[in-house]
Amino acid sequence: MAAQFAFGEEDLLRRLDDSLSYQSPKGFFRSELSGLVDVEGYFIDQRPPGLLFGKDDLFSPRLSLFLDTHLGSQFYSLVQFRADRGFDPGSKPDGDARFDEYLLRWTPWADGRLNVQAGKFATVFGKWVQRHDSWQNPFITAPLAYENVTVITDQAAPGAPAGFLGRRSVADTKATWLPVVWGPAYTSGASVFGQLGKFDYAFEFKNASISSRPTAWDAQDNGWENPTVSARLAHTPNAAWNYGVSASHGSYLLPAAEATLPAGYGRSSYRQTTIGTDLSWSHHGWQVWGEAMVARFQVPRVGNADTFTYFVEAKYKLTPNLFAAIRWNQQLFDTVPDGAGGAQHWDRNIFRVDTALGWRFTRHLQGKVQYSLSHENGPIQQGEQLLAAQLTVKF
Amino acid sequence: MHMPAIAIACALLLGTLTVAAQGTASAEGTVTLPKQSAQAQAAKRYAGQAGALAAPEPPTAVVFLEGAPPPADDKPATNVVQVIQKGMQFGPGLIAVRKGTRVEFPNGDDFYHNVFSYSKAKRFDLGRFLKDEKPPAVTFDQPGVVKLYCEIHEHMRGTVVVLDTPYFVKTDTNGVFRLTGLPAGQFKLRAWLDDKISYEQPVDLKPGATARVNFPGP
Repeated sequence: MAAQFAFGEEDLLRRLDDSLSYQSPKGFFRSELSGLVDVEGYFIDQRPPGLLFGKDDLFSPRLSLFLDTHLGSQFYSLVQFRADRGFDPGSKPDGDARFDEYLLRWTPWADGRLNVQAGKFATVFGKWVQRHDSWQNPFITAPLAYENVTVITDQAAPGAPAGFLGRRSVADTKATWLPVVWGPAYTSGASVFGQLGKFDYAFEFKNASISSRPTAWDAQDNGWENPTVSARLAHTPNAAWNYGVSASHGSYLLPAAEATLPAGYGRSSYRQTTIGTDLSWSHHGWQVWGEAMVARFQVPRVGNADTFTYFVEAKYKLTPNLFAAIRWNQQLFDTVPDGAGGAQHWDRNIFRVDTALGWRFTRHLQGKVQYSLSHENGPIQQGEQLLAAQLTVKF
Repeated sequence: MHMPAIAIACALLLGTLTVAAQGTASAEGTVTLPKQSAQAQAAKRYAGQAGALAAPEPPTAVVFLEGAPPPADDKPATNVVQVIQKGMQFGPGLIAVRKGTRVEFPNGDDFYHNVFSYSKAKRFDLGRFLKDEKPPAVTFDQPGVVKLYCEIHEHMRGTVVVLDTPYFVKTDTNGVFRLTGLPAGQFKLRAWLDDKISYEQPVDLKPGATARVNFPGP
């Protein structure tokens, strides 16, 4: 009689990958659980840069679980759960577990011309979000624009320009300061997006600004009294090229800042306005991305604090398993009145070059190492040299 | 050459062909195929991710004769086979080729595709390629099962079964197969459905006869 035999290898992770899904007999309902296990280490010559918390070298494990569910062809939901040492490495060293994303989407037409989505999910601003998970990001850290902490704070208004400018001379206070965009900015709200021919569009109405910190992203912590609206319009002339423009506008101050504002002003009086552009190109083993953005923070008792930041990133596959990546980042800061009749740059200009090598052992296991060199135009440095390593298991 | 010599040569050739025809055997039958699972849907988690999904190919199987010597006039594979990527599916999703066969992977969609495999029998990555460019190709020079993937569309799955025998065929979608030109003798006939399921049956091939072999499934 017939005998079964194994032709080829069957590894545990592939079986796990295939088995973590349920589908109704005719496929109307399909739910799939997938995940990433990241083990990261950061070795820093000085205090940690960007959105790395803590004071020293850092070990940061993370479990991310994704539940993708389809109901028919029109409804989709995503839940992303994470257990780690904080949304940003080291921000909760004793451990943390969260639902970082949860959304429900309705797609009435199969061609994707319209999608309506509500929940807590990544911002539509910019292009980096689409490749921000550890498996797809060629680097371990985010681009400078998405993680460089500036002296802008969301928790209190400065008493005077001198106080605001004085922050430049101390190390980053990451618990109260903000970058231009805080990582993927999983804020809460609703969005509409879709494709019309070679164009795609996205518009979102969210509860917090794109610079807001993770503790402000949940609707129960921060409602929609001072919303942020963001949009992106992009054109794909052919498969190799894509370019887009993004904009975001909304209040960035948290309720805690209310009491510190000048009389007669509210949180809605002070907004973050950001305009960005992105360009990507890929062909054969090459992938290149670039983004540039201008952000304006209206700072109480100071005025408009403007900054320009950009990055250009390239990845090349050297072999089927090995890839290399390099990224040039820069952020420049404009001047604000110093309260004494002059004007000064409101933060230190910074450049950073990131390099990375990655090795895909299998479809389920990837290792990366990153070396970054950065320099701020001032006496305080936030980790001029960073060496990071990351091992990712995907299932 | 004199006419008698030509006549003798023709007679010899005819005789050889007749003997050869009488000496080959055939095998036919049915492989019980698994039910087609419902179409997997690609998860598009973030805005700006393009593409409409086509229906996947129904299940089929590869049937091949194991242990049989190749024919005396056997030549290395020189043919070219195509596996197209269209509607975010590999088509065909399963192919069987002889060792040494070159397989081209044209892109039939208006967006990028990629083909890669980390299988032991062939490890490659063709990068990202467009619809209108010359299709990238891979020569499969080691027998084994090569699993195909697209790094851009993770749900895409394809399989190349690379065989070291000329005696193989792919079933139709009903599981029906017919192998011809087989050598006489006692061999094993195998049916490969996927990584988890394959069957074997002993087969006694007689010259000029067709053996009936069914693979009823588990």
